Amino acid sequence: MSYSANFKDHLVNPRNVGELPDSDVVAEETNPVCGDRLRLSLRVRDGRIEAARFLAYGCAPTLACGSVLAEMLEGMLIADASRLTKQEITSKLAPLPARKQHAAALAIETLRAALDAIITNNH
Amino acid sequence: MTSLRRVYLDHSATTPVDRRVVEAMLPFLTEKFGNASSVHFYGQEARAAVDRARREVATLMGARPNEIILLSGGTEANNLAIRGLAEASETHGRHIITSEIEHSSVRGICDALEKKGWEITRLPVYDDGIVRLDDVREALRPETVLITVMLANNEIGTIQPIEEIGALIHEERARGNRHLRFHTDAVQAAGRIPLDVEKLGCDLLSLSAHKLYAPKGTGALFVGRGVRLTAQTVGGHQERERRAGTESVAGIVAFGAAARLAHEELDERIAQVRQVRDYFEAGVARRVSDIVFNGNRERRLPHLSNISFRFIEGEGLLINLDLQGVAVSTGSACSSGSLEPSPVIRALGRNDELARGSIRFSFGKDNTKEEVDYVLEALPRAVDNLRRLSPLYQKALAERACATIEI
Repeated sequence: MSYSANFKDHLVNPRNVGELPDSDVVAEETNPVCGDRLRLSLRVRDGRIEAARFLAYGCAPTLACGSVLAEMLEGMLIADASRLTKQEITSKLAPLPARKQHAAALAIETLRAALDAIITNNH
Repeated sequence: MTSLRRVYLDHSATTPVDRRVVEAMLPFLTEKFGNASSVHFYGQEARAAVDRARREVATLMGARPNEIILLSGGTEANNLAIRGLAEASETHGRHIITSEIEHSSVRGICDALEKKGWEITRLPVYDDGIVRLDDVREALRPETVLITVMLANNEIGTIQPIEEIGALIHEERARGNRHLRFHTDAVQAAGRIPLDVEKLGCDLLSLSAHKLYAPKGTGALFVGRGVRLTAQTVGGHQERERRAGTESVAGIVAFGAAARLAHEELDERIAQVRQVRDYFEAGVARRVSDIVFNGNRERRLPHLSNISFRFIEGEGLLINLDLQGVAVSTGSACSSGSLEPSPVIRALGRNDELARGSIRFSFGKDNTKEEVDYVLEALPRAVDNLRRLSPLYQKALAERACATIEI
């Protein structure tokens, strides 16, 4: 099992770690198969993600995908965030072994849950 | 730019080849290149070297040279022992007793036999990682033809009661179950604790050269007198028809030299690795919170330490340590590509979190306390790095803060 230099960098120097004290939304999702967990907190202003933080437990790709996701989200329009794909996350960590791709799926699921909560809150 | 310091603490996966072993094998890669089956001078020179190595390997375990089959490694030895015995004794019964924490090769062989209709009893190991004699006794049936229990576990190092099981089998045979045989996988134990097939009371014992400071690709199976096996590799007369194929003469010579050195230096090596391992464990206990040592801490190999780090997962810790130059392993090396938490740690009754957060540190004869000091700097950094981003850890911290306030 070999991981890219980018991957290892995200693992050892994870970006945007933690939880926002003044977040507008917090979402936490678990992969029921392996028990991996990702927690995402976002602060949103005027349709834009002003700040994003993550916490993660699980295999190394789950941690790295959490870091990539939180870093990408900061400054992004909600509309653009809702169009993010697994591939956009894994491309930052490429090459990611096929059997580790599920980590990006958890990242996208957690993002979707957060965005859904924002929409619900706004209503 | 200074290069990264490297400390190798994965000697249960493989060991570096001892320079003395390299020197012993080199002539057999160059001028002494003969095929040990050839009649001419070159062949006889190779034959004499293989015979000498066979004696050296036999001496390491208190066996006779004609009881040793030389082959490619521990996995092949386990295959020949278990499948070979199963096929040869099929008419007497189709029941095998094994443990829940065998090496993946033994587990794989037993699973394959089970699919072919064999009955397999897998003995539990309880929270200390050790098989109980009473469970072995209870599992025995008239149709049991083989008990296969490892001498020492590859992940947590626990030493199994092989002598006691050997004595039990002896009694069973005296009672009439003449076909019952006993195999032990001693791949991890060899060179780390004394080995004596007579004392252990086993009929079959597997060894691997590369755990003993010899190269990969060579191993041995001890086969006691009167034990019948069906060859798994056929088409040649080598190893008295029990393992066909041209002998890897240089590898075998290296294996012999490594076995001789392991035998001669055993006491010294045990004292050295135990001292370094114990120094490491005391340091970790002082510097890292929320850890669990896995397996019985008395009855275990002197070179190995298995620790679960709560709230984090082993793979991330392994990569963090690797980037600081420290090589360790998580789970069994063979299963770390899968999503399953370590089956060995699960067998101890630990939950998934502890099974996923387990790391094996395995020391070698050349590790020093000074290297351990470096690891004791790197390890808390790596653990903190991962716990900082663990939602489980953050939750535990918050709960502890509440508990403190309540007090």
